[in-house]
Amino acid sequence: MILQPATRGADAELVNASWTEPEAFAELFDRYAGMLYRYVSKRLGPEPAEDLVGETFLVAFSRRRSYDLAYPDARPWLFGILTKLISRHHRSEAARYRALLRAPVEHTIESPADRVAAGVSAQAVRGELAGALASLSAKDRDVLLLIAWGDLTYVEVAQALGIPVGTVRSRLNRGRRKVRAALGDTNPMAEEE
Amino acid sequence: MDDLKLLRDFGARLEHEPPATLVRQRERLLRGRPARRWWATWWTAGLVAVATAVAVVVPTMLLAGGRPVAVPPAGARNVDVGGAMNILLVGSDSVEGENVAYGPQRARQPDGGGRRADSIIILHVPEDRGAVTAVSVPRDSIVRIQACAGDPARVDMINSTYDQDGGLTCLRQTLQKLTGLTFKHTIEVDFTGFKGVVDALGGVQLTLSRPVDDRRAKLKLPAGKVTLDGEAALGWMRSRAQGDGSDIARIKRQAQLLRAMAKKAQSSALDQNRLKALLSEVRESVRTDLGLEEMAGLAAQLTEARISTTVVPWQPARTDRNRVEWRQPQARELFESLK
Repeated sequence: MILQPATRGADAELVNASWTEPEAFAELFDRYAGMLYRYVSKRLGPEPAEDLVGETFLVAFSRRRSYDLAYPDARPWLFGILTKLISRHHRSEAARYRALLRAPVEHTIESPADRVAAGVSAQAVRGELAGALASLSAKDRDVLLLIAWGDLTYVEVAQALGIPVGTVRSRLNRGRRKVRAALGDTNPMAEEE
Repeated sequence: MDDLKLLRDFGARLEHEPPATLVRQRERLLRGRPARRWWATWWTAGLVAVATAVAVVVPTMLLAGGRPVAVPPAGARNVDVGGAMNILLVGSDSVEGENVAYGPQRARQPDGGGRRADSIIILHVPEDRGAVTAVSVPRDSIVRIQACAGDPARVDMINSTYDQDGGLTCLRQTLQKLTGLTFKHTIEVDFTGFKGVVDALGGVQLTLSRPVDDRRAKLKLPAGKVTLDGEAALGWMRSRAQGDGSDIARIKRQAQLLRAMAKKAQSSALDQNRLKALLSEVRESVRTDLGLEEMAGLAAQLTEARISTTVVPWQPARTDRNRVEWRQPQARELFESLK
């Protein structure tokens, strides 16, 4: 799905070219539509994903002249737009996680902490994970999932959301703390950074 | 095990591969006119929020506290809210002072004068009340308008029928002619009048995501929870310094205000005097041929129903690219399905 034609280099060049030649923007679509689709499908499921990806590119296209060409990689920009669009669905997102929370878990082992210690799969603790995600504030969830599911770095998340890197760190820490607490880990030494 | 690793694995299980149909979104991009489409999506969302809020808010306020004020007890009269029907819903925002300019006599007429139709919605309620469809009609739709109330036949924007002398009557007539539908009822909401309603409620509480400082609207509010009186609520709703200053942003604020009002109406125990004041204010700002009971009955049914929303299929008008015209035969087919 993701094609990387060698004809053009960085995303910024495509954005720049699209000023005079709008078709160039479609190449950006070819590069990242699949990636964005996968990300939304995780957060909101496949139904709204297609439309949200389309809207993301339409919004991006309409704002292409305000894109800072100093950033060669357009992913943070696109993820930023997508995150705003996703925020309009935060209720259905939380409902989706809660539904996963209620879904029956196959194995019942002693306690969530033991399962983690035993290195059990994410499948076994999906109820806890879903519950934790549902309970996070929208801001913390955005940061945590951009990193865990969107594969962005701290700096890229900061760019995407227009917030300082320090804020990214604190939101991420808070999010991870809640996830760990849901998994039954209360060890304060596990705190990172 | 690392929590991030667990989350990633969890995500991988939720992930879906992009379908082949994703290419449609690429075409959507290439076909262009992004700003308009983006705008249309927002608009529908805003309109429907307003429509549902109105359908629910008004009866809630009238029946606040479960007190039957000026309302016959339920079942005392056989109310007909059964059967499939279409309701025409118009949200307007009159410009203050204009009513005065038209003179008191005109202002007292049911259609009023000098209002702009901000939102035009056809609410289709099927017989089983299962899934209500809200069809918003772009107000800048270029359509053929018949002569009505002294205005000549012409091709013009649909909301021009409402702005002129004929008001709702002409808009209703024009839409009935264009769509082939019959509107059993009409609901008109004047947002200006909501100022009085807000005051009668004793103010409403809103949560603002950022502080407001709009000198032109003489409005200065901190971020967070604020209580607004009628004047401030209206100013906030109308302020152009809010959001991106667009129509969509404004419609969203209308919906937000309505929700806040519904909340207040439900939560506050109103004394008799306040309730009377509230009722008269509501009568000022909502005009409908639906009786109080019918409205309450309908609202009760609508709160249960699934509401799907759509816009009349349109395309940029050939005569003026900044306006829209209905796309045929899709628009005709849509209306056919609502009969």
